[in-house]
Amino acid sequence: MATSGMFGNGNPGALWTGGPVPGQLHNFPGVQNGATKGSSQRTLNPVVMGSSVLGIQFNGGVVIAADMLGSYGSLSKYRDCPRLLKVNDSTVIGASGDYADFQYLSNVIQQQVIDEECLNDGFGYTPKSLHCWLTRVLYNRRSQFNPLWNTYIVAGLDEDKPYLGYVDKIGMAYEAPSLASGFGAYLALPIIRDALEKKPDMALEDALRLIDRCMKLLFYRDARALNKYQVAVITKAGVDLRGPIVSDTNWEVAHMIKGYE
Amino acid sequence: MSILAYNGAAIMAMKGKNCVAIAADRRFGVQGQTVSMDFDKVFEMGPNLFLGLPGLATDVQTVFQRLKFRLNMYELRENRRIKPKTFMSMVSNLLYERRFGPYFVEPVIAGLDPKTHEPYIASMDLIGCPMETNDFVVSGTCSEQMYGMCESLWEPDLEPDDLFETISQALMNAFDRDAVSGWGAVVYIIEKDKITKKFLKTRQD
Amino acid sequence: MAQLGQPLSDYQRPHQVHFSPYDFNGGTVLAIAGENYALIATDTRLSQGFSIHSRESPKTYSLSENTVLGCCGFHGDVLTLTKTLGARLQIFEKEHNKPMPTPSVAAMLSTILYYRRFFPYYTHNLVAGLDEEGKGCVYSFDPVGSYEREVYRAKGSASAMLQPLLDNQIGGKNQQGYVVQPMPLDRCIAVVKDVFTSAAERDIYTGDNILISVITKDGLKSEKFPLRKD
Repeated sequence: MATSGMFGNGNPGALWTGGPVPGQLHNFPGVQNGATKGSSQRTLNPVVMGSSVLGIQFNGGVVIAADMLGSYGSLSKYRDCPRLLKVNDSTVIGASGDYADFQYLSNVIQQQVIDEECLNDGFGYTPKSLHCWLTRVLYNRRSQFNPLWNTYIVAGLDEDKPYLGYVDKIGMAYEAPSLASGFGAYLALPIIRDALEKKPDMALEDALRLIDRCMKLLFYRDARALNKYQVAVITKAGVDLRGPIVSDTNWEVAHMIKGYE
Repeated sequence: MSILAYNGAAIMAMKGKNCVAIAADRRFGVQGQTVSMDFDKVFEMGPNLFLGLPGLATDVQTVFQRLKFRLNMYELRENRRIKPKTFMSMVSNLLYERRFGPYFVEPVIAGLDPKTHEPYIASMDLIGCPMETNDFVVSGTCSEQMYGMCESLWEPDLEPDDLFETISQALMNAFDRDAVSGWGAVVYIIEKDKITKKFLKTRQD
Repeated sequence: MAQLGQPLSDYQRPHQVHFSPYDFNGGTVLAIAGENYALIATDTRLSQGFSIHSRESPKTYSLSENTVLGCCGFHGDVLTLTKTLGARLQIFEKEHNKPMPTPSVAAMLSTILYYRRFFPYYTHNLVAGLDEEGKGCVYSFDPVGSYEREVYRAKGSASAMLQPLLDNQIGGKNQQGYVVQPMPLDRCIAVVKDVFTSAAERDIYTGDNILISVITKDGLKSEKFPLRKD
């Protein structure tokens, strides 16, 4: 405890027995002060959450999509949360998990991009380098037991080749031609992999149709999803961030679902 | 530590051409301490029917005795030999009666049909969920090792001699990588009109 | 203060943490040391629970011309460990103007692992390569750095299935009159394919492909072999 300050080096002593030292806050007996306890400053459970992110490589680029819902537990609290971040003309990231942590990291990344641009040396983030950097950040945070509660999907073009990378809150990372985080890994990824197996050299239109189908499916079956989403298309021409796209839904068969009344 | 692994055991059964084999280790121990090396875990339930009981040694003997009683009653009442599949149901039934306070044994059954001499093997979990297979079954504290061995060594239509070699190698090399089973083994080769019982000398550590 | 036997009230209870810094991503590695070669094989599946993340993620990492690391367990730690190792080896090479010999790589890996003794890397490691005499060598490690040189070793999710078969087929265990002698490479590769195929039958964390790498004095050669993909 720091006891110096306006009293110089002498210890002024507590104001009353068990009370605070001048210049410090009083801890009520029996109450653990949250502000000084490390644990409550850490994201050990997420608050506002984003659900799935989907990413697909196609012939000549990558598409990445995420819906715009920010869930507060089971409450669909925020309906206009962009979860895709354009980092530069060849890189986009999408985030699942805690939205505040994503916003924090977005700020860090954007500042880094600015700093990098100021050097004006022609270097910048590539999707690969950003993915690698994210891996280290998330792994270090998990090692300090202070994780960033997110799964990131990095999409972009690396030396004109499509790039898709995945990294989660404990620093587990890999690359693949199709990726999905959150519920999308269970609901959408099998469909995407199937489509990609049948047609490995997909055109952009095929990929966008596939994304729309999967986002719709997620809206139907994932209670933490919304039918309003963004898509980023990354090609040689740059990043095209589209949306919000509101997909049409069809509830004609809903009356057939019985037994949950 | 699991109560199923308290005494340690390794048992497997394999199908061959018109024959089956069942093999078990011989160790009886209490956790790390080996107490004896001549403990029976495979029981003759009929001329062509064998039961292997890996698990908690006290339950091994109790389950055997209770099954033997039920089997005797069945055969007296029916005045015929039990079919291996029927016997499997009997074991399953006995175990499921103790669904919420189970006997800690995971039985292996091997035999030939008394009429058709069709080979039969099966295994089940401690509450009697049966599994019948056409190749091999394993049960005990080194089941992963046994699966690895059997999956590599077993092939269809083995003659009795080859079946003996296969099951012996599979069992020995599996339990040599397990601290609580081994210390010798016994192998039964069951043919239509011949039972061959062989003891295997293995490393004693 | 809470009385003994009384339930604690909300603020007195220790804060429950439901964050686990570890996960298990499966994978199996296997290495065999021959007379003048070392072989190291891995499956290429990366899983988490019941999902398969990747079917093209081998768990062997070539550290230098004649050293390969097999590393599986928690993939986050695997990435960090291989990065650290790579950096250390690069420093060594720049300082000494030669790649680090395999036995030294093993010794260094041991200290790197032990450095995290109280927050371990959850990784199962094998180092395969050629020693200073050009003989094949395999080192196996536990997650906190205890290690020994061996002739053959399986590590990872299906290790319990592979190891007894290696004992039998490579080590000649339980075979009467068997004389243990160096095994020709082609027979080794055949055994490796067999044991992995068997393991893929029973272990959900092993499958898709195997990548077999062979290190000889002429360098590193790799071969792919399909496994079941379900």
